Amino acid sequence: MTDTAQSNAQDLIPLSVSRVVEDSNTDTRIIVLTRTDDADTFTIWVGAPEGDSIRRALDAATPPRPMSHDLVKSFGEHFGITTKRVVLTDVKSSTYYATVFLENKGVERSIDARPSDAIALALRTHAPIYATPDVWKRRSGQHLDAWLAKLDTKDIDTQEV
Amino acid sequence: MRLLGCGGEIVMITQMQVKGLMFDPYNNAYIVVLRDEDESEMLPIWVGKSEASAISLALEHVAPPRPMTHDFMKSFLDAYNAKVISVVITDLNEHTYFAKVHLMYEDSEYAVDSRPSDAIALAIRSEAPIFANDSVIRKQSSEELEQWLENLKPDDFGKLDS
Repeated sequence: MTDTAQSNAQDLIPLSVSRVVEDSNTDTRIIVLTRTDDADTFTIWVGAPEGDSIRRALDAATPPRPMSHDLVKSFGEHFGITTKRVVLTDVKSSTYYATVFLENKGVERSIDARPSDAIALALRTHAPIYATPDVWKRRSGQHLDAWLAKLDTKDIDTQEV
Repeated sequence: MRLLGCGGEIVMITQMQVKGLMFDPYNNAYIVVLRDEDESEMLPIWVGKSEASAISLALEHVAPPRPMTHDFMKSFLDAYNAKVISVVITDLNEHTYFAKVHLMYEDSEYAVDSRPSDAIALAIRSEAPIFANDSVIRKQSSEELEQWLENLKPDDFGKLDS
């Protein structure tokens, strides 16, 4: 685990998932995270199945059968393991790293995860999502808002045809 | 092998091995092929692309640079020393398979409802045995026959007449 993962909770930047945008050209999904204290955004690219899993959680959709992250949630419920928080801890060559903090009977454990799995679990367990100040400083997609707006409009057009 | 069902009834189960993954171009899906030890029974399970890839990575002992979803699932269980004892393919209903993941946690046993694809992907990573209820194996062969009958075109009957 990196030192940044252990940084004070007060220093962490609270984030919420605003939406999941489909990038049909590359079969990936773009997760738009918004800083809850000042509405500034942050985007990360994730695989299609992970992105779709995050979207289902956002929509509070209940699939007929438990999907992979529903199963992780179910394990937690059976054993009394709660997801305390999810922290985006590092970024190296455009790859983001996350740590999931768990708790059971006062015992805290942390596990390494991709942000997609971490966020998919956090949304299902109503756990807060944070980024370290360092990750926030080095985030990509500060100027993507206009581009995303355009992409959304294009998508709507395509659907209307 | 005998296993006591939830209602106290005796359920017969057979240990299965993952024999391989096949691509099914007609359904644009993958088939996980399970076979029993003496290869007398076969259970094909249709799964999506990402589920097939999760199973294939584990079968080939590929360690991806970052933990994939089922590696994350295993880390979650490992963090509190919860062990996967076995997984059982329990039911087949209208082409949907049902599975249970059996786990041991703090001296108690748990059975958690799961899709077979997640159960199998987790079982391989945990080196846990995979079982199928004998009723599923029997149902599978009858559903297979039903599907075959449904696919028959009027022409096929014509051929029989001539």
